[in-house]
Amino acid sequence: MNKELIRIINQVFEMEKKIGTRPEMSTLLRNIERIKAALEEMGLSYHNPSGEKYSETRTDCEANIVGDLQAKMIISDVIKPVIFEKTDSTGRVIIQKAVVLVEKQSNE
Amino acid sequence: MNNNINFGIDLGTTNSLIAQFKNGQAEVFKNPVGFKETLPSVVAFRNNRIIVGDKAREYIEKDPCNVFSSFKRKMGTTDSFFVGSLGDFRTPIQLSALVLNELKNFIYTGEKPASVVITIPASFDTIQSNATKKAGYEAGFKEVVLLQEPIAASLAFANKNYGTPLEGRWLVYDLGGGTFDVALVRIQHEEMKVVDHEGDNYLGGLDFDNAIIDNILLPWLHDRGGFSECCTDLRSAQSKYNKLYYLLLLKAEEAKVSLSLAEQADIEFEAEDDTGTVQELFLTISRSQFNDAIRSKVSYSVELVKKVLERNKLTRDELSKVILIGGSTYVPLVREMLAAELGIPVSAEVDPTTAVAAGAAYYAGAKPAALQPGLNDIIRATDSAVNVKMAYAKTSRETDEYFTALISGLPAGSFYRITRSDGGYDSGLKPAAERISEILSLQANEVNAFTLKLYNHQQDQLPVPIDTILITQGKFSIEGQPLPNDICIEVDDVVNNTTRLELVFEKNAILPLRKKIVKTLTKTITRTNSESLLINILEGSHFSMPASCIPIGIIEINGSKLEHDLIKGSDVEILLEMSESRDLHVTAITLMNDQEFGEVFSPSERHINLARLRSEVSGILFLAREELKELEEREHFEEAAVTLRQINELEEMERQLRNLKEDDVTDLKYQVEEKKRRLSRAIDSKDKSSAIAFVKEEYFREKEECQYWIGQSASPSLQSRFEKLVQKENDYVNAGSSFVLRNKIDELRQLSWEVRKKDPSVLMGAFHYYATQPMGDFRDQHQAKKFIEIGEKAIERKNYDELYVALMQLYIIHPDSDRRKNPFSGTGIG
Repeated sequence: MNKELIRIINQVFEMEKKIGTRPEMSTLLRNIERIKAALEEMGLSYHNPSGEKYSETRTDCEANIVGDLQAKMIISDVIKPVIFEKTDSTGRVIIQKAVVLVEKQSNE
Repeated sequence: MNNNINFGIDLGTTNSLIAQFKNGQAEVFKNPVGFKETLPSVVAFRNNRIIVGDKAREYIEKDPCNVFSSFKRKMGTTDSFFVGSLGDFRTPIQLSALVLNELKNFIYTGEKPASVVITIPASFDTIQSNATKKAGYEAGFKEVVLLQEPIAASLAFANKNYGTPLEGRWLVYDLGGGTFDVALVRIQHEEMKVVDHEGDNYLGGLDFDNAIIDNILLPWLHDRGGFSECCTDLRSAQSKYNKLYYLLLLKAEEAKVSLSLAEQADIEFEAEDDTGTVQELFLTISRSQFNDAIRSKVSYSVELVKKVLERNKLTRDELSKVILIGGSTYVPLVREMLAAELGIPVSAEVDPTTAVAAGAAYYAGAKPAALQPGLNDIIRATDSAVNVKMAYAKTSRETDEYFTALISGLPAGSFYRITRSDGGYDSGLKPAAERISEILSLQANEVNAFTLKLYNHQQDQLPVPIDTILITQGKFSIEGQPLPNDICIEVDDVVNNTTRLELVFEKNAILPLRKKIVKTLTKTITRTNSESLLINILEGSHFSMPASCIPIGIIEINGSKLEHDLIKGSDVEILLEMSESRDLHVTAITLMNDQEFGEVFSPSERHINLARLRSEVSGILFLAREELKELEEREHFEEAAVTLRQINELEEMERQLRNLKEDDVTDLKYQVEEKKRRLSRAIDSKDKSSAIAFVKEEYFREKEECQYWIGQSASPSLQSRFEKLVQKENDYVNAGSSFVLRNKIDELRQLSWEVRKKDPSVLMGAFHYYATQPMGDFRDQHQAKKFIEIGEKAIERKNYDELYVALMQLYIIHPDSDRRKNPFSGTGIG
């Protein structure tokens, strides 16, 4: 896989993340959606695992554990998303693991 | 395969790698999970599972009682590691064996090497070396040959044959993620030998990342204000700034990588300040700032190098070069300082990350194995004594699902492991019992495929055939029902002067469904012209002609509805949503003027656009007449008679439609539409065996020719276009639509032409064909004469670009270019 393309996808993800926290920029989401649709046509997609449960069996993420280890941990911040590529044989494979920060669930 | 060892392993303190010598090259294998070549030499024992590599590394600091790294430093000592979760000890040899076993999983070829070369640091004594051998045996290797790391790196350099060959003495400078080593190597009596070495087990790239934080980022935050406790509390696990530390560590590493290539790098992050307000922070770091931050660390490594030189009383002239290995040698300051302070040529040609593994493989490729190569266990006769019965939900709405299996006949001390095919889940190695269970995490809206593998006590895979575990997430519900047919949008095929179907939702997809597509306008629609844009949604096989499908919704956008003109080439975004009750909601946004059009179509109402219907009937009539001509030429008179009757019916429909008013209240248009579909299917379908047979024959002939020309061109991009074009050949050939096949034939012809037009003899042949056509055939005889003249002169001058232009112009004004062009109004989107 082309490394430059992965870098572009990471930037699209960051833009989407930033726009998500700024309602005044929400019209740009449509453009992001279009870029994502074009990427999908190329067989590429990404996933933001923010807020999902985290465990040591999740090999789709490279985690940095913040604070003390707890039984129930969640992904609190995503630096890079999981990137998938469609293949003919296995459906799709992960070509970039997400880079995430993991913390204990706040209600614990 | 020869009887040499061939496999080499770099069993590193921080990372390990495995490579194979094959066809004169060293191939470094990649981790099937994440595709990285390196496997962190870290082992974790968590929740009854053994995890090796990246995932284990995540827990080093947080679970030190159960996670172990850098155990290579303890090889050959009596030290053991107490594993809290097991209540037992593990030796460095046992931990190293686990890393070696994990590396075996990287070998995608399925080979199970019995013999292997493993590298060791130059500093290892006999006891440490023997301990490494023992780890190899514990990992199931029958023969272990050791090789010193600097020698391996030198072999990698020598085999790459960069610049001048290795001779005399040289240095191998190895600066990795967490360790530093320098070795003095020489060739004496045809033998490569490590003469001396020096090192520091706590110096590496991670120190550079921390130097960026301490010397650049924290002072910057301090000067900026608002982060007063940050500098002191950053590394405290209980501090509110601890999250920021990990974030900064990641950002510092990114910046370090960027600064190895560029003069400056941007660091951008968000952080909560003392008052709890989230600040958006941005700074640019220059390479000189970075150099200043890490200078003392690099300088220290250079001092260690000098120590080796002094100890061996060597001057710079007595050394041929410094070979750089280890990921941290990418940093420019390392190279600059070494070159400046030592005055010896610095060579950074070998891949610093993989050089040791590659060198080990080169050595292994020339080293005969004392044992016969191991048999591939996977293809060995299956172990019939083991029986596995699995139970799990095949569909799920949850993000994870319970899995259990009953396993009988397993040898004692066996393990199991479950992985997801996309690489996103790994159970780790777990002790296998008669009953095993796992919580499998699922990817949303996907068919999740998991593989269960069984291993013996030495972690060699047992040859037991086990079905793939397939769990469909999110696509099934009680209310959900599958689509009975494809849902398609009709788009223009401008090149072939027709329209075709583009799949939106595939047959059997589970409702509700939603998809957004962006299409480009193929014509300009002004507020005054009569053009319109048609968003025509149809139900039926996407391998058929649009006119054969059932119309389920159409939006017509004409000039009167527009706020501004729409220019050809601008985009329209179309959102299609189909509810569980199959209501279709279509929203179109013309992006040029941001105008939105939307409509909801119910499955109980049919939507007929009269203009579109007229255009479709004309199109089918054209095709039918073409087909009639072909059938008569081939003397298939019986089928020709059928086609003639169909033509008569279509002509009658054309007459009816001509007289039909837009506001007609009768159901005539519905009747005509239905009849159109029936006739379209009949003309296009495989019921006409001869007609379809001709087209199939033509298709395969064209495909063969195209394949030949692409083979001649040896162009990977054309090859990939060809493969894409024929990708779903079985589907469209078996669908039996002559319309679809004819379009494919045209696409193949265009592809062949792209190769053929580069051949002067082909161009001249084609030009000769048009130049000898009767002048009266051309639509513009004056132009024809002009371009024949230009073409002839171009041949004389051997100017084939000009000849191509002349040829194209002649083609355009010749009736050939009208061949198979039907009356075409199109949808306006393509």
